[in-house]
Amino acid sequence: MREKKGKSIAATLATATCSLLGNTVSEPVQAQEEPGWDFNTALLFYDEADDRVQDISLNFLAVRTFDDDRSLSLGLTIDTLTGPTPTGAIPFDSAQTFTRASGLSTYTTAAEQIPLDDTFLDDRFAISASWQQPLGRLFTINAGLTGSSEYDYTHIGANVSLSRDFNKRNTTASIGLAIAQDDMDTEGGAPIPLSEMLEVGNLTNKMGDQSKDVFDVVLGVTQVINRNFLVKLNYSFSDSSGYLNDPYKFLSVVDPLTGDPVAVLPGPGPGPSHLNRYENRPDSRTKHSLYGQAKYYMNGKVLDASYRFMTDDWGIDSHTVDLHYRWPIGDTSYLEPHFRFYTQSEADFYRVSLLDDGLPLPSYASADYRLGEFDAITVGLKYGWTLASGNEMSARLEFYSQDGDAPRNQLIGNQLSRDPYPDLEAIIAQFSFRFGH
Amino acid sequence: MGSPCELLTDTDDKSSAEQLLDIVSAEAWRVEDKFSRYLPGNITAQINTSNGATVEVDDETGDLLDFAETLHQLSDGLFDITSGILGKLWHFDGSDKIPDGDDVKSVLKHVGWTRLDWSRPRLTLFPGMQIDLGGLGKEYAVDRAGNLVAAQTEAGCLVNYGGDLVATGRPKDAAGWRVGIEEPDDRSALAGQVIRLVRGGLATSGDARRFLKKGGIRYGHILNPTTGWPIEGSPRSVTVAADTCTQAGMLATLAMLKGAAAEDFLDQQEVRHWCLR
Amino acid sequence: MRSVTRMVFVAQLAIFAATGCSSMGVEPWERDVLAKEEMQLVVDPLEAGIDDHIYFSKEASSGGRGFGGGGCGCN
Repeated sequence: MREKKGKSIAATLATATCSLLGNTVSEPVQAQEEPGWDFNTALLFYDEADDRVQDISLNFLAVRTFDDDRSLSLGLTIDTLTGPTPTGAIPFDSAQTFTRASGLSTYTTAAEQIPLDDTFLDDRFAISASWQQPLGRLFTINAGLTGSSEYDYTHIGANVSLSRDFNKRNTTASIGLAIAQDDMDTEGGAPIPLSEMLEVGNLTNKMGDQSKDVFDVVLGVTQVINRNFLVKLNYSFSDSSGYLNDPYKFLSVVDPLTGDPVAVLPGPGPGPSHLNRYENRPDSRTKHSLYGQAKYYMNGKVLDASYRFMTDDWGIDSHTVDLHYRWPIGDTSYLEPHFRFYTQSEADFYRVSLLDDGLPLPSYASADYRLGEFDAITVGLKYGWTLASGNEMSARLEFYSQDGDAPRNQLIGNQLSRDPYPDLEAIIAQFSFRFGH
Repeated sequence: MGSPCELLTDTDDKSSAEQLLDIVSAEAWRVEDKFSRYLPGNITAQINTSNGATVEVDDETGDLLDFAETLHQLSDGLFDITSGILGKLWHFDGSDKIPDGDDVKSVLKHVGWTRLDWSRPRLTLFPGMQIDLGGLGKEYAVDRAGNLVAAQTEAGCLVNYGGDLVATGRPKDAAGWRVGIEEPDDRSALAGQVIRLVRGGLATSGDARRFLKKGGIRYGHILNPTTGWPIEGSPRSVTVAADTCTQAGMLATLAMLKGAAAEDFLDQQEVRHWCLR
Repeated sequence: MRSVTRMVFVAQLAIFAATGCSSMGVEPWERDVLAKEEMQLVVDPLEAGIDDHIYFSKEASSGGRGFGGGGCGCN
């Protein structure tokens, strides 16, 4: 009897309360524990045109918020990269054969094709952890660690930043420092800079493992302008030293009159068909960036605009303009178009090719298109929606296009009729799911 | 109400917010003026000075007395609005002044719902008895305010009378109202749990501020009206979420009255609850 | 080097201007819009990290908004 009564207390109480309050209908209570965990997951597809690089990655970010604004963030990324990438050698009206980085075999590029190295099959595993907490009433401190690993590359890093609020929290100033060390265990060993590409089995031009150190400082200030308008300004300084070359990139050595790659006498075994030399970059690089961002709220719509200027001691200057416009649709979804414009100048030591003219080689030379002069545009659209459970999903599709030209004054002979600069077009597609617990 | 009372409403319309505040505060004062046992001349005072005479009560008072009777039955006599006079003996001020057993026995003679006669609309108390609607008055007032607010506006509001809450909907740009449970020993700290309330009532019963401590034993302020002594083994605090603040408050109180069995009781009732020991 | 000097000067000016403008801003109770998720400087840290990584591996610049990032064999 007591047990039965125990179970129906809530029901009897409900009825009694309805009589007391005169409520004819009582809507059910909606109360739940505030999610302590916020999970964000994203699946990314990246696909370049002309059968070049494809990347699929799975990304996770978990944030656990504790009382009084302390929080822990944990991130994990797993990605698989496949597909060939330009090596820096130039196209030519004959086929060319190159020795792979491993020194174990060769590959051939057809005539008129930009030479691509297809040995790229790389899985990367990256993790990050960071802790944030207030220090007193006005300071916030953040400290983090990062690490990543690929078959030929590992990275570890640490960062710390401190910020302070002023003016009733309308102004926030911050300073951050980061250090990192990356180790490269290149397949076959890193090549001796500017050495010749050798035949299969000959590893005399290889050095062992390499490493580089990176040091970053970021100074920032955020300012609330008015109820709807917020701006941020950052100055960053970055210094890298050590092995900064790309061990898989090289330059074609060309005839000074025709501009065509110089042929190599065939040896007893397989090897390169033409003369190539591995690239060399300086062993230090200092970058300065100035970044400004504004967020403006206009009656439900949000405009996010940013500009970044970068300059470094390799002679590269770049400008980036990035615009996002969030446009809510109803209460639960939004559309967000995205436009990004990027332009960079070439590195001082960027070269289309090296000349076989008997003169001493330059100290530094690279034909890596990413150090060349180009413009890039990203155009994309994102759609996000909130589910009944309160969780969010989103999908975005973007097109990225790089368009560059080799500097005219560097092109010689037949190179003028071929554009040796590999343009890039890629599709970016991402699905996200964000949920709390 | 014995505690700060507030109304939270998320709106751009200042005049409508002020109007709501007027409605809610008027109702809060009305309920307090009518039922507080500290004010002379109101219905509670009339009843408590009746000295055995029959008092005829109005509908609202009658509803509250019916409700108190139901709670008395549901709790097997542990919830009793006539137990207020035991408060003369027990002063829960954190000290170690435990009353004498004989004093408790003599006061108990005037305690017990079964000793009075309630035949709606007539209430007759045994001389020396007192009623105290404090145990359900605040939650009732919260729900009355909530109903008035819901009738007045579509916007989500939160009525909060010192920790007894009702929400009529979520604030405009948040998933819900964020309510923290106090750490019983440190009022400035949260007990680690933040509750997101969208709609419905939330009430807490606990000994956070009212207790006695003697001989290493902590005596919570909920008294057993059949023995005159505090209930043993109750959690330090019980918070319940239910459709109305009244239900939440009553379930929290009933759970405290169950002492060590508080959590089991709430599990059986299938309501969201948070107990701190 | 000249462009660096100029840039540092502009940055310093901006910081002085911002901290000197104690009259600019909002009262604490006016932060409703600024508290919205879509008004945060980095709305989706996961997506920001993904984009940073893509552009780091295809371009010569990195960072700006935060640290330089990188830490992969892709550049």
